[in-house]
Amino acid sequence: MPIYEQTYRRHEARGPLRRVRFWPITREALRLILARRWFLALLVAAWLPFVVEVIRIYVVTRFPEANRILPVDGRLFGELLGWQAFFTMFITIFGGAGLVANDLRTGAILVYLSRPLTRRDYVVGKLGVPLLLNLSATLAPGLLLYAVALALAPDLFWKWDLAWIAPAVVVQSLTVSMVMSLVALAVSSLSRSVRVAGLGFFGLLIGLEVARGILYALYRRPETALLSLQADLRSLGVTLFGLADRSVNVPWAYAAAMLAAVSIGCLLVLRSRVRAVEIVQ
Amino acid sequence: MSATLEFVRASRWYGQVIALNDVTTTIGPGVTGLLGPNGAGKSTFLKLAAGQLAPSQGEVRMLGQPAWGSPELFHRVGVCPEADAFWEQLTGLQFLLGLLRLTGYDEAECRQRAENALHEVALLDAKDRKIGGYSKGMRQRVKLAQALAHEPEVLLLDEPVSGMDPVNRRRVVDLVRRLGRAGRTVVVSSHILHEVEAMTRRVLLIHNGRILAEGDVREIRDLMDEHPHTVALRARDTRALARAVVGLPHVISLTFGAEGEWLTVQTAKPDELYGNLAAAAEEAGVSEMYSPDENLESVFRYLVAG
Repeated sequence: MPIYEQTYRRHEARGPLRRVRFWPITREALRLILARRWFLALLVAAWLPFVVEVIRIYVVTRFPEANRILPVDGRLFGELLGWQAFFTMFITIFGGAGLVANDLRTGAILVYLSRPLTRRDYVVGKLGVPLLLNLSATLAPGLLLYAVALALAPDLFWKWDLAWIAPAVVVQSLTVSMVMSLVALAVSSLSRSVRVAGLGFFGLLIGLEVARGILYALYRRPETALLSLQADLRSLGVTLFGLADRSVNVPWAYAAAMLAAVSIGCLLVLRSRVRAVEIVQ
Repeated sequence: MSATLEFVRASRWYGQVIALNDVTTTIGPGVTGLLGPNGAGKSTFLKLAAGQLAPSQGEVRMLGQPAWGSPELFHRVGVCPEADAFWEQLTGLQFLLGLLRLTGYDEAECRQRAENALHEVALLDAKDRKIGGYSKGMRQRVKLAQALAHEPEVLLLDEPVSGMDPVNRRRVVDLVRRLGRAGRTVVVSSHILHEVEAMTRRVLLIHNGRILAEGDVREIRDLMDEHPHTVALRARDTRALARAVVGLPHVISLTFGAEGEWLTVQTAKPDELYGNLAAAAEEAGVSEMYSPDENLESVFRYLVAG
């Protein structure tokens, strides 16, 4: 029987698992993404609509008659978030497309899952990256614009019947950011190439939107909105902010159900693809 | 010897393919070599041990707990995968720091552990260089460092010296032996008998998903010596290397690779060849060395037939 030197000190396992395990994953990925100057420029560019809307509010406070041409009310926030949804598409492509694809390509997923983490921690950690980036381009400018509106035009916005604006901004921002992030992560997990994942995500969004546009042009039916993720998100915006867009004017519950189904589908894809070992049968 | 790792009638299928078939074995402290040709089931064995795969049938227990579905075990287990699993844009230090943060240490402890581990694998001087610029040997060592950094009780190393030059190979072999002597459980997979033999005498022979034999490596060595052994070397000056080995009595043949970077040596006595190589390798600038597994395959065929 071999005799072992008794020099090794046994290290205790650190309890069960830590409570917040996903954050180091999110933080490291954010650090790498935000180190790219052009990506920071994109994030800054995403605040341009906010600047435009602030100017609009300012102009209306200085020249009240301008309110007839550029009405300043709750719809303004819906319009802002409509622009922001456009920017989230690019933020998600450049900030989220490679998150899982890179790990699958390099095998780093195996190294992640050789740590005291669950697969769920990995997915939540990765999801946190596009989610936080997108929230910085939707929720942050949305709420800040509301604060600016209250400060610049209290007579227009300090009203009980406009108290819905902040919750509506939160709901729309969270929905846009979460759906975009989930779809990007699921597409990323289906490829080992960042480019393929990015193009796949872009193609999915644009392709479905083009198909919706063609069908709407042919049949003039708002139900075609259910086909496109962006139209579903716009449809929610129409309901929340009272916007006028007949092409996506479907009952909000339908759009919400479609977005929920897509999100669940993405989670199922992630569940099957995020593994330490890729099983090819 | 208390069992750190237990396989009880464990099998794993990938669809119609059986990768590991009804394996029952126990592994305790010290170094255990997992030896078998490519595709024998070594990686599947290690992935089951690491809880990265669930057994299709049977049970795998690590440190008394089911290996599958117990991520907390990774506080006490270190895994060095075979594949290059890197974020190339990170430096060696950043790579280790990122992984240690996932284990839950505070920043100061992460740094200390990362530097200790890099020192252990002789990479401290290169800690601030990007992994993308590391040589094959350095990449292998940084991968080993990440497995060691949290000072685990159990180390699962999948082909840890594959592709390393002789000097780095020696370093890693010494490190593995030291860890084993210190009472840690180290499981090392390889398809090269000589590599495993340098680290331990206890081996598990695995072939076609089955454990064929376990025990002392010398018995395998006796079988092995009947077969010529092939060693491929990548060197700056393959001609100088050829001059150094051509006269050795055990060398059967030499073949130059297509672009003149590789030299393949066939020898009847691999031990002596490796012994003679050290000085010549340095002079000729050997940067990579590996041994194809055909000869080991023939030993397995012999064992299976026998």
